[in-house]
Amino acid sequence: MIRKPIAKGYKDEDYPPIPTRTNRFMRKFWPYQIIRFFVLNLKIMRIIVGGHS
Amino acid sequence: MAKVVVLGAGISGHTAVMVLRKKLGKKHEVIMVSPNSNYQWIPSNIWVGIGQMKPKQVIFPLAPVYKRKGVNFKQAIAKTIFPEGDTAITNPFVEIEYVEEGKKGQKEKVEYDYLINATGPKLNFAATEGLGPDGHTVSVCTYGHAAHAWEKLQESLDKMAKGDKQRFVIGTGHPMATCQGAAFEYALNVAFEINKRKLMHLAEITWITNEYELGDFGMGGAFIKKGGYVTSTKIFTESIMAEYGIKWIKRAGVKKVEEGVIHYETLDGEESTIEFDFSMLIPGFAGVGINAKNKNGDDISAELFAPNGFLKVDADYTPKDFDNWSIKDWPSTYQSPKYENIFACGIAFAPPHSISKPFKSKKGTPIFPTPPRTGMPSGVMGKVVALNVAESVKSGKTSVKHKASMGKMGAACIVSSGYGLRDGMAATMTVYPVVPDFEKYPEWGRDLGYTVGEPGLAGHWMKLFMHYMFIYKAKALPGWSLIPE
Repeated sequence: MIRKPIAKGYKDEDYPPIPTRTNRFMRKFWPYQIIRFFVLNLKIMRIIVGGHS
Repeated sequence: MAKVVVLGAGISGHTAVMVLRKKLGKKHEVIMVSPNSNYQWIPSNIWVGIGQMKPKQVIFPLAPVYKRKGVNFKQAIAKTIFPEGDTAITNPFVEIEYVEEGKKGQKEKVEYDYLINATGPKLNFAATEGLGPDGHTVSVCTYGHAAHAWEKLQESLDKMAKGDKQRFVIGTGHPMATCQGAAFEYALNVAFEINKRKLMHLAEITWITNEYELGDFGMGGAFIKKGGYVTSTKIFTESIMAEYGIKWIKRAGVKKVEEGVIHYETLDGEESTIEFDFSMLIPGFAGVGINAKNKNGDDISAELFAPNGFLKVDADYTPKDFDNWSIKDWPSTYQSPKYENIFACGIAFAPPHSISKPFKSKKGTPIFPTPPRTGMPSGVMGKVVALNVAESVKSGKTSVKHKASMGKMGAACIVSSGYGLRDGMAATMTVYPVVPDFEKYPEWGRDLGYTVGEPGLAGHWMKLFMHYMFIYKAKALPGWSLIPE
């Protein structure tokens, strides 16, 4: 994951939340991501089914 | 025998033609008119633009598919619609001009019982001086443009490998451009490729956008549940930008591009410039320029089309203040109010108003995104229009019982960077509905259970999966119709 050191100036890009190491690990942790894959697919399927009559 | 003519073989038009062919028996004729010989899966153009895919991986020839399915394919440009026929032909028809080798320049009058306009947009580079592949910036709007973008990107990467600093500017190239999602995805991919080569210290990447806030994406932004809070996509998007080392300029309308310099105006009326070595900016969109004439040959384009060239449908086009906008303004059948046998879907229909709040600069320049209507919504519209037309043909009477309003339809946008099962990362965003419905969801405008923003490998796998699945579907291989839009 790209992680550029943030200079603490008064610029727009200094203020957003930056993910922690744990967060970045979970984004690539296969067992968790496999679950998320199915959860996201289910949400999208629900959106598709509800989207037209 | 009925004749149904579809104009445009993009996501919406191709979906419509395949559904029509499936629903209508062989005694009815389905005609596709498209100047393109290939189908392109546009979302994967981003991978072409960073050299992870070749153009041939995102396209396939249309003619063999249409021959196999019994669709009459005419590789031509639609020039003029005659909804009432003319003095010689009593039936409605479209005048087309062939572009395929051997027939180039030949004209033909193609009669129809039903017409579906799914031409997509004209990429209006001319609306911004110096914009586009013929000017000073690149584009990823077509596979050809994306391949050119990769050539230019390689030049910058080579210079960085030799120790030169490079400035990258990516975003919207017109004060009212849309498709921020595609530009955002390209920006992340460029950052990813630079970082992969460990050259980030030599790169300055800037996102320039006409959005009021980042994460607007032409749909007024969205709210998502995140870390125990309901938070805006502004925070979500800015977080990803900061993480990737991308700076941003917002509320900016690009007015002119010169060699290495972009001129823009901000909402506060300030005129500024930014220098670049590599720039990918999305152009404004306009209708493709089809005319319409009545029986006597008088031009009736203004009756059929909105001033931006998109076809007027069953929307409420009454000018209203932002506070009075409603999802009821949005069309659901995409039928022309003037001619009941004409429909428009995908980008070709004229939206009643923007989804994002419209703003004007102090100098009077409108600077805000126009509504996105690509990808999933395009496919759904194409299917719904085709179902209505097929049932009308079968019953002999026009009926529009199938409906799909963008105020009741969701969309998924997967902004993926990198390529492969292990190396990628995606920001998956889903919204439901696309147009916020503050009557049904008074607090946030959308259903928070189905409006999601989530970074991770899962979304990246979905993007890869969708690439292969939707190309399979578009090729009309066995079981294609079971795959949803």
